[in-house]
Amino acid sequence: MSGYWPWWAGAAGLALITINYALTTDRSFGVSSAWDRVLHWRRERRLERMDEEFTDERALAEALAAATAEHFGTGPAAPTVPPVGYGTSQLLETDAEPSASEDTSVTSPGPAPLVTQAALLVSIFFGGLIAAVTSGRFHLRFDMGPGFRNVVTANPTTMTVLLFVGGVLVGFGTRLAGGCSSGHGLNGCGRLRLVSLVATAVFFGTAVAVSFLLWKVI
Amino acid sequence: MRTRGAILLANIITGLTLGYTVSNIGFGDYTELNRMFTFQDLRMLLSFAGAVVIIICAFALLRVRRTPGRIHAGVIPGAVLFGTGWAISGGCPAIPIVQVASGYLPALITIVGVTVGIRLCRWANARYFHLDRGSCGL
Repeated sequence: MSGYWPWWAGAAGLALITINYALTTDRSFGVSSAWDRVLHWRRERRLERMDEEFTDERALAEALAAATAEHFGTGPAAPTVPPVGYGTSQLLETDAEPSASEDTSVTSPGPAPLVTQAALLVSIFFGGLIAAVTSGRFHLRFDMGPGFRNVVTANPTTMTVLLFVGGVLVGFGTRLAGGCSSGHGLNGCGRLRLVSLVATAVFFGTAVAVSFLLWKVI
Repeated sequence: MRTRGAILLANIITGLTLGYTVSNIGFGDYTELNRMFTFQDLRMLLSFAGAVVIIICAFALLRVRRTPGRIHAGVIPGAVLFGTGWAISGGCPAIPIVQVASGYLPALITIVGVTVGIRLCRWANARYFHLDRGSCGL
C-alpha cells in the first residue's frame, strides 16, 4: 500500500539514527526508559542533584588530597569513595547500558540528563507530524484505521478498552524487560547483547503469535 | 560532543528523525504492522532486521563500546507482555506518539495505558519483585 518507504530506505534510516546517537553521545537511546524517567521526573531530578553534589564533593576531596600530597611530598592517595554516580544504579534506564557489576572494564557516562529525555519524546511527536503532513497521510480520526477495525474490533468501546490494556502491557512489559524495540531491538541487538537478543526474539515472537491469533482465530 | 547542550541537541535530532523515519516506514499504521507480524508483507520486518545488521557491522567497525547485559528474571515475562501489548494496540512506546502525530486520536488512550503500565511496573518492582535495578532498568 501507500507511499511508505522501501525496506532498504527504512533500514538505512533506522541504522543511521542509532549509529549517530551512539557516536555523538557515547550512549544508547531507549524510548521506554525516556518515558520512565520523564514520568518519575521528581525522583530523577532529586537523583541528578545528588549526583552533581557528589561529583562536587569528590572533586573537592581529590583537590585537598593532591594539595596535601604536594605539601608533604607524597603521592596523592586514591579516593576512598569509588566514583560511582547514581547513574550506575540505573544504567539500564538507558536501556542498553550494563550495570557496574556486569562490566567493570568500561566506564559508562551514565544516563542522559532528564531534560534531554523529555526532548526526545517531544521531538518524536514533531518528527511524526512532519512526516504525516509532508506525505499527505495526516487525517484527524477517531478510529485506528481499517486494519484495526477489520482485525481487532470495530466497536468504539472495545477499541478503547483494548488500546488501554495494550498500552498498560507495553508500558509494564518494556520496563520489566529493561527495554523496548529501540533500546533492546536496535541499540542492544546492534551491540550483540545477549539479553537484548533474547528479549527481542521473545517480544517479536509473542507479537507474531498474538497477531496470528487476532487475524485467524479471533 | 558530550556536554549537556550537545546531548540535548543529539536527542532532539534523534527524536525528530526517529519520528519521521518510523512514520514513513509505516510502523504507525496498524494495517502495516499486522501484515508484518503475520508475514503477509516482509517490508517492515526487513527494515528492522536490515537496520540491526547495519548497526552490528558499523559498531564492530567503529569499535563502539560494548555493553554486555545479564538476563534477569524480568526479561522474558516482560518481553511476553510487551509483545502482546504491541500486537493488540499497535504501539511500542514511541509508536503511539507517532500515531497521534498522524491524526489517530485514540492512540492517546494507548499513551495513557503506557504511562499507567510504566508507573505500575516501578511500583510493583519496589513492592513485590525486588529485581536488581541495575540490571532490569526499572
